[in-house]
Amino acid sequence: MKVLGLDTSGYANAIGVVDGDCVLADFTFEARTDTLEKIVTHIDFMLKKANLQLEDIDGFGVGLGPGSWTGIRVGVTVGKILAFSTGKPICGVATLEILASQVTKPSKLFCPIISAGTRDTIYAAFYRRQNDLVERVDDYYVGDPAGLARRIKEPTILVGTGINAYLKAIRQEINSNINIELIEDSPRGASVALLALDRLQRGGDNALALAPLYLKESTARAFISQYTVAQTRG
Amino acid sequence: MLVLGIETSCDESAAALVIDGRTILSNIIATQLDILQKYGGVVPEIAARRHTELIGYIIKEAMDFAHKTLKDIEAIAVTARQGLIGCLLVGVAAAKSLSYALKVPLVGVHHIEGHIFASLLSNPDLPIPHVCLTVSGGHTMLVFVRDYCQYELLGSTLDDAAGEAFDKIAKFFNLGFPGGPVIDGLASKGNRKAFNFPRPLLRAGTYDFSFSGLKTAIINTFKEKVAQNEPLPIEDIAASFQEAVVDILVAKTLRAASESNVSAISVTGGVSANRRLREVFNEKCQKAKIDVFFPELRLCTDNAAMVAAAGYHRLRLGLADNLNLNVLPNAPLEVQCAR
Repeated sequence: MKVLGLDTSGYANAIGVVDGDCVLADFTFEARTDTLEKIVTHIDFMLKKANLQLEDIDGFGVGLGPGSWTGIRVGVTVGKILAFSTGKPICGVATLEILASQVTKPSKLFCPIISAGTRDTIYAAFYRRQNDLVERVDDYYVGDPAGLARRIKEPTILVGTGINAYLKAIRQEINSNINIELIEDSPRGASVALLALDRLQRGGDNALALAPLYLKESTARAFISQYTVAQTRG
Repeated sequence: MLVLGIETSCDESAAALVIDGRTILSNIIATQLDILQKYGGVVPEIAARRHTELIGYIIKEAMDFAHKTLKDIEAIAVTARQGLIGCLLVGVAAAKSLSYALKVPLVGVHHIEGHIFASLLSNPDLPIPHVCLTVSGGHTMLVFVRDYCQYELLGSTLDDAAGEAFDKIAKFFNLGFPGGPVIDGLASKGNRKAFNFPRPLLRAGTYDFSFSGLKTAIINTFKEKVAQNEPLPIEDIAASFQEAVVDILVAKTLRAASESNVSAISVTGGVSANRRLREVFNEKCQKAKIDVFFPELRLCTDNAAMVAAAGYHRLRLGLADNLNLNVLPNAPLEVQCAR
Protein backbone atom coordinates (compact mmCIF):
# COMPACT_ATOMS: atom_id res chain seq x y z
CA MET A 1 0.00 0.00 0.00
CA LYS A 2 1.42 3.34 -1.09
CA VAL A 3 0.78 6.19 1.32
CA LEU A 4 1.52 9.91 1.04
CA GLY A 5 2.12 11.57 4.40
CA LEU A 6 2.27 15.27 5.13
CA ASP A 7 2.59 17.56 8.12
CA THR A 8 2.57 21.36 7.88
CA SER A 9 2.17 22.20 11.55
CA GLY A 10 5.61 23.64 12.12
CA TYR A 11 6.43 26.24 9.47
CA ALA A 12 7.68 23.46 7.20
CA ASN A 13 6.13 21.20 4.59
CA ALA A 14 7.11 17.69 5.66
CA ILE A 15 6.19 15.25 2.91
CA GLY A 16 6.94 11.55 2.59
CA VAL A 17 5.88 8.65 0.41
CA VAL A 18 6.00 5.04 1.58
CA ASP A 19 5.15 1.69 0.03
CA GLY A 20 4.38 -0.61 2.92
CA ASP A 21 7.33 -0.32 5.31
CA CYS A 22 9.60 0.98 2.59
CA VAL A 23 10.23 4.75 2.47
CA LEU A 24 10.26 5.85 -1.18
CA ALA A 25 10.79 9.57 -0.57
CA ASP A 26 10.93 11.83 2.47
CA PHE A 27 11.82 15.49 2.73
CA THR A 28 11.02 18.51 4.88
CA PHE A 29 10.84 21.82 3.02
CA GLU A 30 11.42 25.02 4.98
CA ALA A 31 8.22 27.06 4.60
CA ARG A 32 7.96 29.88 7.09
CA THR A 33 5.58 32.01 5.02
CA ASP A 34 4.98 29.95 1.91
CA THR A 35 3.39 26.79 3.31
CA LEU A 36 0.25 27.37 1.25
CA GLU A 37 2.02 28.66 -1.84
CA LYS A 38 4.30 25.63 -2.20
CA ILE A 39 2.41 22.73 -0.63
CA VAL A 40 0.97 21.19 -3.80
CA THR A 41 4.17 21.81 -5.79
CA HIS A 42 6.14 20.14 -3.00
CA ILE A 43 3.77 17.15 -3.02
CA ASP A 44 4.15 16.84 -6.79
CA PHE A 45 7.94 17.05 -6.44
CA MET A 46 8.01 14.25 -3.85
CA LEU A 47 5.72 12.02 -5.89
CA LYS A 48 8.05 12.43 -8.86
CA LYS A 49 10.98 11.57 -6.57
CA ALA A 50 9.16 8.34 -5.75
CA ASN A 51 8.43 7.76 -9.44
CA LEU A 52 4.73 7.87 -8.74
CA GLN A 53 1.69 9.84 -9.77
CA LEU A 54 -1.10 10.92 -7.48
CA GLU A 55 -3.31 8.17 -8.94
CA ASP A 56 -0.83 5.55 -7.68
CA ILE A 57 -1.33 6.60 -4.05
CA ASP A 58 -3.63 4.26 -2.09
CA GLY A 59 -4.15 6.50 0.92
CA PHE A 60 -3.12 9.65 2.75
CA GLY A 61 -1.82 10.48 6.21
CA VAL A 62 -1.92 14.01 7.55
CA GLY A 63 -0.51 15.65 10.67
CA LEU A 64 -3.38 17.25 12.57
CA GLY A 65 -1.25 19.43 14.84
CA PRO A 66 -1.00 20.89 17.39
CA GLY A 67 1.26 23.62 16.06
CA SER A 68 0.82 26.68 13.85
CA TRP A 69 -2.96 27.08 13.49
CA THR A 70 -2.57 28.43 9.97
CA GLY A 71 -0.11 25.69 9.09
CA ILE A 72 -2.34 22.81 10.20
CA ARG A 73 -5.32 24.27 8.36
CA VAL A 74 -3.32 24.14 5.11
CA GLY A 75 -2.21 20.54 5.68
CA VAL A 76 -5.57 19.25 6.82
CA THR A 77 -7.44 20.99 3.99
CA VAL A 78 -5.03 19.76 1.32
CA GLY A 79 -5.13 16.24 2.80
CA LYS A 80 -8.91 16.01 2.99
CA ILE A 81 -9.48 17.46 -0.48
CA LEU A 82 -6.85 15.19 -2.09
CA ALA A 83 -8.51 12.20 -0.41
CA PHE A 84 -11.95 13.39 -1.45
CA SER A 85 -11.00 14.08 -5.07
CA THR A 86 -9.06 10.84 -5.56
CA GLY A 87 -11.58 8.75 -3.63
CA LYS A 88 -8.79 7.29 -1.46
CA PRO A 89 -8.87 6.95 2.34
CA ILE A 90 -7.16 9.34 4.73
CA CYS A 91 -6.06 9.15 8.33
CA GLY A 92 -5.23 12.04 10.66
CA VAL A 93 -2.35 11.69 13.09
CA ALA A 94 -1.51 13.96 16.03
CA THR A 95 1.78 15.72 15.35
CA LEU A 96 2.90 14.87 18.90
CA GLU A 97 2.45 11.20 18.08
CA ILE A 98 4.49 11.62 14.90
CA LEU A 99 7.36 13.04 16.95
CA ALA A 100 7.10 10.25 19.53
CA SER A 101 7.12 7.60 16.80
CA GLN A 102 10.41 8.94 15.50
CA VAL A 103 12.28 8.14 18.73
CA THR A 104 14.03 4.85 18.01
CA LYS A 105 15.32 4.20 21.54
CA PRO A 106 13.68 1.33 23.41
CA SER A 107 11.51 1.53 26.56
CA LYS A 108 11.42 4.82 28.49
CA LEU A 109 8.86 7.54 28.38
CA PHE A 110 8.82 9.92 25.40
CA CYS A 111 7.54 13.46 25.71
CA PRO A 112 7.19 15.32 22.41
CA ILE A 113 7.00 19.09 22.84
CA ILE A 114 5.67 21.64 20.33
CA SER A 115 5.79 25.42 20.78
CA ALA A 116 2.38 27.07 21.04
CA GLY A 117 3.64 30.26 19.42
CA THR A 118 4.31 32.15 22.63
CA ARG A 119 7.53 31.74 24.59
CA ASP A 120 6.07 30.10 27.67
CA THR A 121 3.25 27.98 26.26
CA ILE A 122 3.86 24.52 24.90
CA TYR A 123 1.84 21.54 23.69
CA ALA A 124 3.04 18.17 24.93
CA ALA A 125 2.02 14.60 25.73
CA PHE A 126 3.61 11.44 27.11
CA TYR A 127 4.02 8.34 24.98
CA ARG A 128 5.35 4.87 25.70
CA ARG A 129 6.45 2.31 23.14
CA GLN A 130 4.39 -0.86 23.16
CA ASN A 131 4.81 -3.62 20.57
CA ASP A 132 6.46 -1.37 17.98
CA LEU A 133 3.79 1.30 18.38
CA VAL A 134 3.79 4.40 20.54
CA GLU A 135 0.81 4.88 22.81
CA ARG A 136 -0.21 8.03 24.56
CA VAL A 137 -0.38 7.46 28.30
CA ASP A 138 -1.80 10.80 29.49
CA ASP A 139 -3.98 13.69 28.36
CA TYR A 140 -2.55 16.31 26.04
CA TYR A 141 -0.78 19.07 27.93
CA VAL A 142 -1.09 22.80 27.16
CA GLY A 143 0.73 25.17 29.49
CA ASP A 144 4.14 26.38 30.59
CA PRO A 145 7.27 24.16 30.67
CA ALA A 146 7.36 24.16 34.49
CA GLY A 147 3.86 22.70 34.66
CA LEU A 148 4.90 19.95 32.26
CA ALA A 149 7.99 19.24 34.37
CA ARG A 150 5.84 18.62 37.44
CA ARG A 151 4.29 15.69 35.57
CA ILE A 152 7.65 14.04 34.92
CA LYS A 153 8.26 11.33 37.51
CA GLU A 154 10.63 8.98 35.68
CA PRO A 155 13.44 9.11 33.10
CA THR A 156 12.02 10.78 30.00
CA ILE A 157 13.15 11.62 26.51
CA LEU A 158 11.99 15.05 25.39
CA VAL A 159 11.65 15.40 21.65
CA GLY A 160 10.87 18.38 19.44
CA THR A 161 12.26 21.47 17.72
CA GLY A 162 14.11 24.08 19.79
CA ILE A 163 13.29 22.28 23.04
CA ASN A 164 16.62 23.31 24.54
CA ALA A 165 14.90 26.60 25.32
CA TYR A 166 12.61 24.88 27.84
CA LEU A 167 15.28 22.75 29.50
CA LYS A 168 16.18 25.24 32.23
CA ALA A 169 12.58 25.73 33.32
CA ILE A 170 11.99 21.97 33.27
CA ARG A 171 15.15 21.07 35.22
CA GLN A 172 14.23 23.53 37.98
CA GLU A 173 11.01 21.68 38.64
CA ILE A 174 12.05 18.05 38.65
CA ASN A 175 14.05 15.83 40.93
CA SER A 176 17.71 15.94 39.83
CA ASN A 177 17.87 12.12 40.03
CA ILE A 178 15.49 11.81 37.12
CA ASN A 179 17.36 11.50 33.87
CA ILE A 180 16.17 13.81 31.10
CA GLU A 181 17.37 13.37 27.56
CA LEU A 182 16.81 15.77 24.68
CA ILE A 183 16.31 14.80 21.06
CA GLU A 184 16.09 17.63 18.56
CA ASP A 185 13.70 16.48 15.84
CA SER A 186 10.84 17.68 13.66
CA PRO A 187 7.92 15.66 12.29
CA ARG A 188 8.68 13.86 9.03
CA GLY A 189 6.27 13.08 6.24
CA ALA A 190 7.34 9.44 6.02
CA SER A 191 6.58 9.01 9.73
CA VAL A 192 3.03 10.28 9.17
CA ALA A 193 2.64 7.88 6.26
CA LEU A 194 3.91 4.91 8.29
CA LEU A 195 1.62 5.71 11.20
CA ALA A 196 -1.32 6.12 8.83
CA LEU A 197 -0.58 2.90 6.94
CA ASP A 198 -1.97 0.53 9.54
CA ARG A 199 -5.05 2.61 10.32
CA LEU A 200 -5.82 3.14 6.63
CA GLN A 201 -6.03 -0.60 6.15
CA ARG A 202 -8.75 -0.53 8.77
CA GLY A 203 -10.68 2.17 6.86
CA GLY A 204 -9.19 5.44 8.04
CA ASP A 205 -11.09 8.60 8.94
CA ASN A 206 -13.99 10.41 7.29
CA ALA A 207 -12.13 12.75 4.92
CA LEU A 208 -14.78 15.49 4.88
CA ALA A 209 -15.02 15.59 8.68
CA LEU A 210 -11.28 15.68 9.29
CA ALA A 211 -10.44 18.60 11.60
CA PRO A 212 -7.17 19.96 13.00
CA LEU A 213 -6.11 19.28 16.57
CA TYR A 214 -5.77 22.82 17.88
CA LEU A 215 -5.73 21.98 21.62
CA LYS A 216 -6.40 25.67 22.30
CA GLU A 217 -9.48 27.81 21.84
CA SER A 218 -9.17 31.01 19.84
CA THR A 219 -8.61 34.03 22.07
CA ALA A 220 -12.07 35.37 21.33
CA ARG A 221 -13.82 32.13 22.24
CA ALA A 222 -11.76 31.81 25.43
CA PHE A 223 -12.69 35.39 26.31
CA ILE A 224 -16.40 34.77 25.71
CA SER A 225 -16.34 31.55 27.78
CA GLN A 226 -14.72 33.38 30.69
CA TYR A 227 -17.16 36.23 30.30
CA THR A 228 -20.13 33.85 30.32
CA VAL A 229 -18.83 32.04 33.39
CA ALA A 230 -18.27 35.35 35.19
CA GLN A 231 -21.79 36.46 34.31
CA THR A 232 -23.41 33.26 35.56
CA ARG A 233 -21.49 33.58 38.79
CA GLY A 234 -22.48 37.25 38.70
CA MET B 1 -17.20 25.10 -19.49
CA LEU B 2 -18.25 23.85 -16.06
CA VAL B 3 -16.44 25.82 -13.34
CA LEU B 4 -16.42 25.01 -9.64
CA GLY B 5 -16.24 28.24 -7.63
CA ILE B 6 -15.01 28.39 -4.03
CA GLU B 7 -15.38 31.39 -1.73
CA THR B 8 -14.10 31.57 1.86
CA SER B 9 -12.83 35.15 2.09
CA CYS B 10 -14.81 36.11 5.18
CA ASP B 11 -17.44 34.26 7.17
CA GLU B 12 -19.37 32.41 4.44
CA SER B 13 -18.11 29.03 3.23
CA ALA B 14 -19.45 28.73 -0.30
CA ALA B 15 -19.14 26.48 -3.35
CA ALA B 16 -20.99 26.65 -6.67
CA LEU B 17 -21.09 25.09 -10.11
CA VAL B 18 -21.61 27.49 -13.00
CA ILE B 19 -21.59 26.81 -16.75
CA ASP B 20 -19.83 29.34 -19.00
CA GLY B 21 -20.05 32.08 -16.38
CA ARG B 22 -23.76 32.22 -17.05
CA THR B 23 -25.87 29.28 -15.83
CA ILE B 24 -25.88 28.48 -12.12
CA LEU B 25 -26.28 24.74 -11.45
CA SER B 26 -25.72 24.99 -7.70
CA ASN B 27 -24.91 27.74 -5.24
CA ILE B 28 -24.20 26.40 -1.75
CA ILE B 29 -23.59 28.86 1.08
CA ALA B 30 -22.91 27.92 4.69
CA THR B 31 -23.18 31.02 6.83
CA GLN B 32 -21.76 31.33 10.30
CA LEU B 33 -24.71 33.35 11.50
CA ASP B 34 -24.91 31.56 14.86
CA ILE B 35 -21.32 32.55 15.61
CA LEU B 36 -21.73 36.06 14.25
CA GLN B 37 -24.73 36.66 16.47
CA LYS B 38 -22.91 35.34 19.50
CA TYR B 39 -19.84 37.52 18.99
CA GLY B 40 -21.47 40.50 17.27
CA GLY B 41 -19.23 40.14 14.22
CA VAL B 42 -16.66 38.05 12.43
CA VAL B 43 -13.88 36.53 14.53
CA PRO B 44 -11.13 35.62 12.02
CA GLU B 45 -9.74 32.59 13.88
CA ILE B 46 -13.19 31.13 14.54
CA ALA B 47 -14.23 31.74 10.92
CA ALA B 48 -11.06 30.06 9.61
CA ARG B 49 -11.67 27.02 11.82
CA ARG B 50 -15.24 26.74 10.61
CA HIS B 51 -14.13 26.95 6.94
CA THR B 52 -11.69 24.07 7.51
CA GLU B 53 -14.50 21.91 8.92
CA LEU B 54 -17.00 22.80 6.18
CA ILE B 55 -14.93 23.10 3.02
CA GLY B 56 -15.19 19.46 1.92
CA TYR B 57 -18.89 19.22 2.69
CA ILE B 58 -19.87 22.35 0.75
CA ILE B 59 -17.89 21.25 -2.32
CA LYS B 60 -19.59 17.84 -2.21
CA GLU B 61 -22.98 19.49 -1.69
CA ALA B 62 -22.42 21.79 -4.69
CA MET B 63 -21.81 18.73 -6.89
CA ASP B 64 -24.59 16.58 -5.46
CA PHE B 65 -27.11 19.40 -5.84
CA ALA B 66 -26.14 19.81 -9.51
CA HIS B 67 -26.04 16.01 -10.07
CA LYS B 68 -22.46 16.32 -11.27
CA THR B 69 -19.36 14.30 -10.42
CA LEU B 70 -15.76 15.42 -10.01
CA LYS B 71 -15.04 14.21 -13.56
CA ASP B 72 -17.43 16.83 -14.96
CA ILE B 73 -15.51 19.77 -13.48
CA GLU B 74 -13.47 21.63 -16.11
CA ALA B 75 -11.87 24.36 -14.00
CA ILE B 76 -11.57 25.59 -10.41
CA ALA B 77 -12.03 29.26 -9.49
CA VAL B 78 -11.33 30.51 -5.98
CA THR B 79 -11.30 33.82 -4.14
CA ALA B 80 -7.59 34.35 -3.51
CA ARG B 81 -7.45 38.10 -3.15
CA GLN B 82 -8.89 40.47 -0.54
CA GLY B 83 -10.33 39.09 2.65
CA LEU B 84 -9.22 37.57 5.93
CA ILE B 85 -5.93 35.78 5.31
CA GLY B 86 -6.69 32.73 7.46
CA CYS B 87 -10.05 32.30 5.74
CA LEU B 88 -8.86 32.84 2.14
CA LEU B 89 -6.16 30.26 2.71
CA VAL B 90 -8.60 27.42 3.38
CA GLY B 91 -10.40 27.98 0.07
CA VAL B 92 -7.16 28.31 -1.88
CA ALA B 93 -5.66 25.17 -0.28
CA ALA B 94 -8.80 23.25 -1.28
CA ALA B 95 -8.86 24.75 -4.79
CA LYS B 96 -5.26 23.94 -5.63
CA SER B 97 -5.64 20.39 -4.30
CA LEU B 98 -8.69 19.89 -6.52
CA SER B 99 -6.96 21.43 -9.52
CA TYR B 100 -3.96 19.14 -8.99
CA ALA B 101 -5.97 15.96 -8.43
CA LEU B 102 -8.46 16.57 -11.27
CA LYS B 103 -5.84 18.03 -13.65
CA VAL B 104 -8.00 21.04 -14.50
CA PRO B 105 -7.02 24.74 -14.67
CA LEU B 106 -6.93 26.86 -11.50
CA VAL B 107 -7.78 30.53 -11.39
CA GLY B 108 -7.64 32.98 -8.47
CA VAL B 109 -10.26 35.71 -8.32
CA HIS B 110 -10.38 39.03 -6.46
CA HIS B 111 -13.32 39.12 -4.07
CA ILE B 112 -14.54 42.44 -5.47
CA GLU B 113 -14.24 41.10 -9.00
CA GLY B 114 -16.59 38.36 -7.83
CA HIS B 115 -19.17 40.92 -6.69
CA ILE B 116 -18.92 42.70 -10.05
CA PHE B 117 -19.76 39.39 -11.76
CA ALA B 118 -22.66 38.72 -9.37
CA SER B 119 -24.54 41.47 -11.17
CA LEU B 120 -23.54 40.18 -14.62
CA LEU B 121 -24.77 36.71 -13.64
CA SER B 122 -28.20 38.03 -12.70
CA ASN B 123 -28.44 40.53 -15.54
CA PRO B 124 -27.22 39.19 -18.89
CA ASP B 125 -28.10 42.55 -20.49
CA LEU B 126 -25.93 44.63 -18.13
CA PRO B 127 -23.66 46.45 -20.62
CA ILE B 128 -19.89 46.73 -20.32
CA PRO B 129 -18.48 49.33 -19.69
CA HIS B 130 -20.47 50.34 -16.64
CA VAL B 131 -19.93 51.78 -13.18
CA CYS B 132 -20.24 49.32 -10.32
CA LEU B 133 -20.90 50.27 -6.72
CA THR B 134 -20.02 47.30 -4.57
CA VAL B 135 -20.96 47.73 -0.98
CA SER B 136 -21.05 45.29 1.93
CA GLY B 137 -20.01 44.86 5.54
CA GLY B 138 -16.40 44.56 4.46
CA HIS B 139 -16.00 47.04 1.64
CA THR B 140 -17.45 50.06 -0.17
CA MET B 141 -15.99 50.59 -3.63
CA LEU B 142 -16.85 52.47 -6.74
CA VAL B 143 -15.38 50.74 -9.78
CA PHE B 144 -15.29 51.62 -13.46
CA VAL B 145 -15.69 48.29 -15.25
CA ARG B 146 -13.94 49.07 -18.53
CA ASP B 147 -14.08 45.56 -19.94
CA TYR B 148 -14.17 41.96 -18.72
CA CYS B 149 -11.47 41.76 -16.03
CA GLN B 150 -10.38 45.36 -16.61
CA TYR B 151 -11.21 47.59 -13.70
CA GLU B 152 -10.41 51.05 -12.50
CA LEU B 153 -11.00 51.80 -8.83
CA LEU B 154 -12.66 55.23 -8.64
CA GLY B 155 -13.05 55.44 -4.89
CA SER B 156 -13.45 53.45 -1.73
CA THR B 157 -14.20 54.02 1.92
CA LEU B 158 -11.66 55.83 4.06
CA ASP B 159 -12.90 54.26 7.29
CA ASP B 160 -15.94 52.02 7.86
CA ALA B 161 -17.61 50.11 5.06
CA ALA B 162 -21.26 51.08 4.59
CA GLY B 163 -22.49 47.71 5.81
CA GLU B 164 -20.12 47.96 8.74
CA ALA B 165 -21.80 51.23 9.73
CA PHE B 166 -25.16 49.41 9.69
CA ASP B 167 -23.68 46.63 11.82
CA LYS B 168 -22.11 49.00 14.30
CA ILE B 169 -25.24 51.10 14.70
CA ALA B 170 -27.32 47.95 15.17
CA LYS B 171 -24.81 46.70 17.71
CA PHE B 172 -24.83 50.03 19.55
CA PHE B 173 -28.62 49.89 19.90
CA ASN B 174 -28.51 46.16 20.69
CA LEU B 175 -30.56 45.27 17.63
CA GLY B 176 -28.61 42.15 16.66
CA PHE B 177 -26.35 41.09 13.82
CA PRO B 178 -26.17 41.59 10.89
CA GLY B 179 -27.38 45.16 11.12
CA GLY B 180 -28.49 45.67 7.52
CA PRO B 181 -31.79 43.76 7.49
CA VAL B 182 -32.68 44.93 11.02
CA ILE B 183 -32.21 48.61 10.22
CA ASP B 184 -33.90 48.17 6.85
CA GLY B 185 -36.93 46.77 8.69
CA LEU B 186 -37.02 49.45 11.40
CA ALA B 187 -36.45 52.25 8.89
CA SER B 188 -39.52 51.25 6.89
CA LYS B 189 -41.61 52.25 9.92
CA GLY B 190 -39.73 55.50 10.65
CA ASN B 191 -39.53 59.05 9.36
CA ARG B 192 -36.55 59.55 7.05
CA LYS B 193 -36.51 63.28 7.69
CA ALA B 194 -36.76 63.16 11.49
CA PHE B 195 -33.05 63.80 11.90
CA ASN B 196 -30.70 65.56 9.54
CA PHE B 197 -27.59 63.44 9.98
CA PRO B 198 -24.37 64.53 8.25
CA ARG B 199 -23.51 63.17 4.81
CA PRO B 200 -19.70 63.10 4.88
CA LEU B 201 -17.82 63.83 1.65
CA LEU B 202 -21.12 64.17 -0.23
CA ARG B 203 -20.03 67.22 -2.16
CA ALA B 204 -16.28 66.64 -2.08
CA GLY B 205 -14.63 66.17 -5.47
CA THR B 206 -13.57 62.66 -4.53
CA TYR B 207 -15.30 59.33 -5.08
CA ASP B 208 -14.13 58.16 -1.67
CA PHE B 209 -16.58 57.48 1.15
CA SER B 210 -16.54 58.01 4.91
CA PHE B 211 -19.15 56.63 7.31
CA SER B 212 -17.39 56.84 10.64
CA GLY B 213 -18.49 60.45 11.36
CA LEU B 214 -22.10 59.61 10.54
CA LYS B 215 -21.97 56.80 13.06
CA THR B 216 -20.62 59.17 15.73
CA ALA B 217 -23.36 61.71 14.98
CA ILE B 218 -25.99 59.05 15.63
CA ILE B 219 -24.40 57.94 18.86
CA ASN B 220 -24.24 61.59 19.99
CA THR B 221 -27.93 62.07 19.14
CA PHE B 222 -28.73 59.03 21.22
CA LYS B 223 -26.71 60.36 24.16
CA GLU B 224 -28.47 63.75 23.95
CA LYS B 225 -31.88 62.09 23.95
CA VAL B 226 -30.95 59.94 26.91
CA ALA B 227 -29.47 62.90 28.82
CA GLN B 228 -32.66 64.94 28.28
CA ASN B 229 -34.84 61.97 29.20
CA GLU B 230 -36.59 62.20 25.86
CA PRO B 231 -38.13 59.11 24.27
CA LEU B 232 -35.88 57.39 21.77
CA PRO B 233 -37.51 57.21 18.34
CA ILE B 234 -35.44 54.24 17.17
CA GLU B 235 -37.41 53.82 13.92
CA ASP B 236 -36.80 57.48 13.04
CA ILE B 237 -33.11 57.23 13.85
CA ALA B 238 -32.82 54.08 11.72
CA ALA B 239 -34.71 55.69 8.82
CA SER B 240 -32.69 58.92 8.97
CA PHE B 241 -29.41 57.05 9.25
CA GLN B 242 -30.28 54.78 6.34
CA GLU B 243 -31.34 57.79 4.28
CA ALA B 244 -27.99 59.48 4.87
CA VAL B 245 -26.06 56.37 3.76
CA VAL B 246 -28.31 55.90 0.71
CA ASP B 247 -27.94 59.58 -0.29
CA ILE B 248 -24.16 59.34 -0.23
CA LEU B 249 -24.00 56.06 -2.14
CA VAL B 250 -26.49 57.11 -4.82
CA ALA B 251 -25.08 60.60 -5.37
CA LYS B 252 -21.48 59.43 -5.78
CA THR B 253 -22.41 56.54 -8.06
CA LEU B 254 -24.54 58.75 -10.32
CA ARG B 255 -21.77 61.32 -10.58
CA ALA B 256 -19.26 58.57 -11.41
CA ALA B 257 -21.57 57.24 -14.12
CA SER B 258 -22.02 60.64 -15.68
CA GLU B 259 -18.32 61.55 -15.50
CA SER B 260 -17.33 58.15 -16.93
CA ASN B 261 -19.87 58.56 -19.75
CA VAL B 262 -21.57 55.23 -19.13
CA SER B 263 -25.25 54.52 -19.45
CA ALA B 264 -25.45 51.76 -16.84
CA ILE B 265 -24.89 51.33 -13.14
CA SER B 266 -24.59 48.07 -11.24
CA VAL B 267 -25.01 47.87 -7.47
CA THR B 268 -23.72 44.72 -5.75
CA GLY B 269 -22.66 43.37 -2.36
CA GLY B 270 -24.69 42.68 0.78
CA VAL B 271 -25.95 46.26 1.16
CA SER B 272 -27.39 46.17 -2.37
CA ALA B 273 -30.17 44.05 -0.85
CA ASN B 274 -31.31 47.14 1.09
CA ARG B 275 -34.82 48.05 -0.09
CA ARG B 276 -34.46 51.81 0.30
CA LEU B 277 -31.15 51.80 -1.58
CA ARG B 278 -32.78 49.99 -4.49
CA GLU B 279 -35.77 52.33 -4.40
CA VAL B 280 -33.69 55.53 -4.52
CA PHE B 281 -31.35 54.15 -7.18
CA ASN B 282 -34.31 53.20 -9.36
CA GLU B 283 -35.91 56.62 -8.88
CA LYS B 284 -32.77 58.72 -9.50
CA CYS B 285 -31.51 56.60 -12.37
CA GLN B 286 -34.82 56.82 -14.14
CA LYS B 287 -34.61 60.63 -13.97
CA ALA B 288 -31.00 60.60 -15.19
CA LYS B 289 -31.88 58.10 -17.96
CA ILE B 290 -29.33 55.61 -16.69
CA ASP B 291 -30.06 51.89 -16.43
CA VAL B 292 -29.50 50.42 -12.99
CA PHE B 293 -28.96 46.71 -12.26
CA PHE B 294 -28.92 44.71 -9.04
CA PRO B 295 -28.05 41.04 -8.51
CA GLU B 296 -30.87 38.76 -7.41
CA LEU B 297 -30.93 38.62 -3.61
CA ARG B 298 -29.08 35.30 -3.22
CA LEU B 299 -26.14 36.75 -5.17
CA CYS B 300 -25.92 40.00 -3.16
CA THR B 301 -24.07 38.54 -0.19
CA ASP B 302 -20.90 36.48 -0.52
CA ASN B 303 -21.35 33.41 -2.73
CA ALA B 304 -19.27 31.17 -4.95
CA ALA B 305 -21.37 31.43 -8.12
CA MET B 306 -19.98 34.92 -8.69
CA VAL B 307 -16.46 33.55 -8.18
CA ALA B 308 -17.06 30.80 -10.72
CA ALA B 309 -18.40 33.38 -13.21
CA ALA B 310 -15.42 35.70 -12.71
CA GLY B 311 -13.07 32.71 -12.97
CA TYR B 312 -14.63 31.60 -16.24
CA HIS B 313 -13.99 35.00 -17.81
CA ARG B 314 -10.43 35.16 -16.47
CA LEU B 315 -9.75 31.74 -18.01
CA ARG B 316 -11.33 32.83 -21.28
CA LEU B 317 -8.87 35.74 -21.31
CA GLY B 318 -5.90 33.47 -20.60
CA LEU B 319 -5.45 34.55 -16.99
CA ALA B 320 -5.15 31.11 -15.38
CA ASP B 321 -2.95 30.70 -12.32
CA ASN B 322 -0.55 27.86 -11.53
CA LEU B 323 -0.41 25.62 -8.45
CA ASN B 324 1.69 28.19 -6.61
CA LEU B 325 -1.35 30.46 -6.31
CA ASN B 326 -1.15 32.33 -3.01
CA VAL B 327 -3.53 34.50 -1.01
CA LEU B 328 -3.23 38.30 -1.06
CA PRO B 329 -5.48 39.68 1.69
CA ASN B 330 -4.96 43.35 0.71
CA ALA B 331 -4.58 43.04 -3.05
CA PRO B 332 -5.73 46.11 -4.97
CA LEU B 333 -8.39 45.50 -7.59
CA GLU B 334 -6.42 47.03 -10.47
CA VAL B 335 -3.82 44.25 -10.36
CA GLN B 336 -6.61 42.12 -11.81
CA CYS B 337 -6.40 43.82 -15.20
CA ALA B 338 -6.15 41.66 -18.26
CA ARG B 339 -2.77 41.87 -19.94
